[in-house]
Amino acid sequence: MHRYLSTPLVLLATLVSLQAVEISRSLIRIEATSQEPDYKTPWNPGDVASGVGAGFVVEGKRVMTNAHVVSNARFLTITKEGDPNPYLAKVLHVAHDCDLALLSVENPNFFKGTLPLEFGGIPEIESVVSAYGYPLGGTRLSVTRGIVSRIDFQPYSHSGMDSHLAIQIDAAINPGNSGGPVMQKGKVVGVAFQGYSGDVAQNVGYMIPTPVIDRFLKDVEDGRYDSYVDLALTYRSLFNPAARLALGLKDDSTGVQVCSVYSGGASDGIVKSGDVILKIDGHPVSSDGTIPMEDEAVPLEEVVERKFRGESVRLDILRDEKPVALTVPLKEPWPFKLQSNLYDERPRFVMAGGLVFQPVDQNFMEAHDPSDQRLNYLFEFFIADGLHANRPEIVVFSNILPDPVNAYAEEFRYSVVDEVNGHKIKRIEDIAAAFEEQVEYDVIKLAGGNRPIVLERKAVEEARPRIRERYAVTAEKNLEK
Amino acid sequence: MKMTHPARFVRIALSLLLAVGSIHAESVIPEADSTPQSLLRVNSTNQVYELFQPWIKKPPFSRRGLGALIDGNRILVTAELVANSTFIELEKPTSARKSTANVERIDYDCNLAVLRPTDPNFLEGMKPLALNGPLKVGEEATVLQLEPNGDIARTLGRITSISVGGYPSESGSLLLFKLGAPLQQRDGSFTLPAVRDGRLIGMVMRYDARNQSADIVPTAVIRHFLAELDSPTYQGFARLGIVFAPLRDPQLRRYIGLEEPGGIYVTDIAPRGSADMAGIQKGDTILAVDGVPLDQDGNYEDADYGRILFSHFTNTIKHPGAVVPLKTLRNGQVLEIPVTMRVADREQAISETHLSEEAPKYVILGGLVFIELSRPYLKEWGGKWASNAPQRLVYYDTFQNELPADRGRIIILSQVLPTPDTLGYEDLENIVVTKVNGHPIKSLTDLSEAAAKPIDGFQKIEFEEDPKILFLDAASVQSNAENLKKHYALPSLERL
Repeated sequence: MHRYLSTPLVLLATLVSLQAVEISRSLIRIEATSQEPDYKTPWNPGDVASGVGAGFVVEGKRVMTNAHVVSNARFLTITKEGDPNPYLAKVLHVAHDCDLALLSVENPNFFKGTLPLEFGGIPEIESVVSAYGYPLGGTRLSVTRGIVSRIDFQPYSHSGMDSHLAIQIDAAINPGNSGGPVMQKGKVVGVAFQGYSGDVAQNVGYMIPTPVIDRFLKDVEDGRYDSYVDLALTYRSLFNPAARLALGLKDDSTGVQVCSVYSGGASDGIVKSGDVILKIDGHPVSSDGTIPMEDEAVPLEEVVERKFRGESVRLDILRDEKPVALTVPLKEPWPFKLQSNLYDERPRFVMAGGLVFQPVDQNFMEAHDPSDQRLNYLFEFFIADGLHANRPEIVVFSNILPDPVNAYAEEFRYSVVDEVNGHKIKRIEDIAAAFEEQVEYDVIKLAGGNRPIVLERKAVEEARPRIRERYAVTAEKNLEK
Repeated sequence: MKMTHPARFVRIALSLLLAVGSIHAESVIPEADSTPQSLLRVNSTNQVYELFQPWIKKPPFSRRGLGALIDGNRILVTAELVANSTFIELEKPTSARKSTANVERIDYDCNLAVLRPTDPNFLEGMKPLALNGPLKVGEEATVLQLEPNGDIARTLGRITSISVGGYPSESGSLLLFKLGAPLQQRDGSFTLPAVRDGRLIGMVMRYDARNQSADIVPTAVIRHFLAELDSPTYQGFARLGIVFAPLRDPQLRRYIGLEEPGGIYVTDIAPRGSADMAGIQKGDTILAVDGVPLDQDGNYEDADYGRILFSHFTNTIKHPGAVVPLKTLRNGQVLEIPVTMRVADREQAISETHLSEEAPKYVILGGLVFIELSRPYLKEWGGKWASNAPQRLVYYDTFQNELPADRGRIIILSQVLPTPDTLGYEDLENIVVTKVNGHPIKSLTDLSEAAAKPIDGFQKIEFEEDPKILFLDAASVQSNAENLKKHYALPSLERL
């Protein structure tokens, strides 16, 4: 009785271990010690924390993992299956906009006996995949299995601003799976990277598919990562018969309406609001914004997704009912950076008279969570309303280190700074320069015409050593990212 | 639509009704006077418009309070008790005799209203309450409530503060008493009179149960309201129309060369307000009002109430039309600027911030619902409207003073009632309209007029935000109008 029962179990175990033996030559466990910058006390180096992720060996003696596994890393060690020794690793390339990274290992012996994994294509819906990693931090390899549930554009939560193709699978993906390979038929079909916590959705995990991985690998071929490029415009489906007629379209199902063209972006000055996009690089655009590509209907962005800095896109446009052919040279839309999570950067700031000034970005907003309505408007509509044209950086009076010199300034915290000592403040550097000037009074004018904050320079100078010592301020400014 | 929006009226009412005092009969003191003959139960059924669907009203709700009979057969209550009333009933405490009543005048700024019974004989045998003079902090007053049997319950309290404070309309600040008193939870306590020696000292408009503190509209404000009522045309309360910062900071005082001890710094001017029309400017320092110096916080020495904010003088003591000289420091020069006090011109507001009795305006075009931006609309997003409502709209409402003076009203596409004409536009909501058929839109009337002039058979509507532009088939919109009305049970496709 006992024997019969145990036999199938053993068989099953052997099956699993056969696959696991193979993957174990490629799977990497990554231990990262990171330091989160402190945007509330920007002169402080920030808290040190550590985490565990997964990775795998790829061609060229490199290890692939997620960007979020190695973001803000100060110290990285990696281990491989069957070798207890940790090896020192370094970030070779990191792409925060698509959550991928490549690591190098100093000790060349590390790669002895390892097997670089190869990449497959996009797996079919409902086909079975296996995810490998170290969920919840254990030291032994874990395998979970599931099917491909959906293939679609998804926001990538690491940057918070970018959306790319992603594949939803129902294999359990938990913290520690991040960066691990998802395999099908011996090939990598994705890198596990994000999922929902159990109270939002069950069995929903996402992996980065190979088109995104391929693009990343191609981008870094020249030794640096240039990031994604973007048309920097918004468009809308064109279903309304009256709108189609008014724009001079036929009664079919082609074309989308360009809504906003963001100033400073790739299409600025080339594409106009109200244009109808008929074709992108020769692919006919359907009225819902999709194009046929590799037997699938994919969003028209996919054409741009596969391009690199310096390349361009051809748009066939209907403008004022006449066809126009446009070429848009692609570039990275810089104002978007302000609204995405930033990593591997140090907070910039200037401190004077116990008043701290900082440029606003997503990291700042997350740390401070200010309730100032003007600031929130400027941040939220920075791109949509083209506010960056007049104000490339929003500089705010962000914090106060109380001292007699600034006894009446507290109420103006989170006000946006317009002018200091007669100089318009367009970037944090401007404020540093304004405080360098010799003046009797430092006069800080705030957006919205509140009363100016006035500090007597003599008092500021007297307060300087006192404030630095009392609040352990190690630096009075940092202008470097 | 998508929001649940607890009406703030209901919340205020609840806070009153839930006010369970821990002290019972001890605080109820017998007092032999004639106040019972001056009190009436006021039951008001109120109904407000659903601003997400401005063609309908929300379910009616009732508020019950206690009105005070004053001179001239008028019953004084708070404006909130009878705001948007559809039916008002007066009831004598003892006999339970009833009469319907009409609102003779309501003013949200001062949160006061006077009612008049429709039955002219109803008030016979009753005695009007006289108004008391000024009170001082620490003096006692009694809040009156009614027991179910009609007996009067008196709760003695003490004035804990007299200051200029916020009123529910948020249109500005007026004199406010705070009375510490352990009020009990009793039905019909939305408005309560407070008396001293049988004379009215004010009307309780809010009660904070946790701190046992009642906010009272004092007689100074009531007298102004009644004086305006007796004048040929009711104008209400004027506003200086400035935003100011205190000048406590000695560094700032030295920087602007201020030698006198007091003064306030003008940080913002309401467009077309009293100060604006008189030429007061941002950055001016106001040193004195009508010859009376201001301290660093803007207080003056009032004959009745001591050191309180100057706006009590300009808004309540003075009536609209009065000329008040302001002693002003500008670029080192002292000027004496006469300011004619004016009532804020609501017609000119870019976003209406006040409570309003008026039916909200709207235009429905082919299923697109257009309305005017207003603070009450934003408040439909609930208590945290400032962060939950669409941020562009909140920005326009909050910073409307900074928009160009000729901006006009902000007209928004608030939602879409899907019809064949709006195919593909179903997801649009809360976006700001800039032009219709090429005409700039500064009011709903503009929009209605522009929609009558389609271009090449299309309604061309432009927005600040995406989609930036959309088109409707003008002929189809027109021919489908009756269908649209019938389909969504709309009483009318516009109210202007």
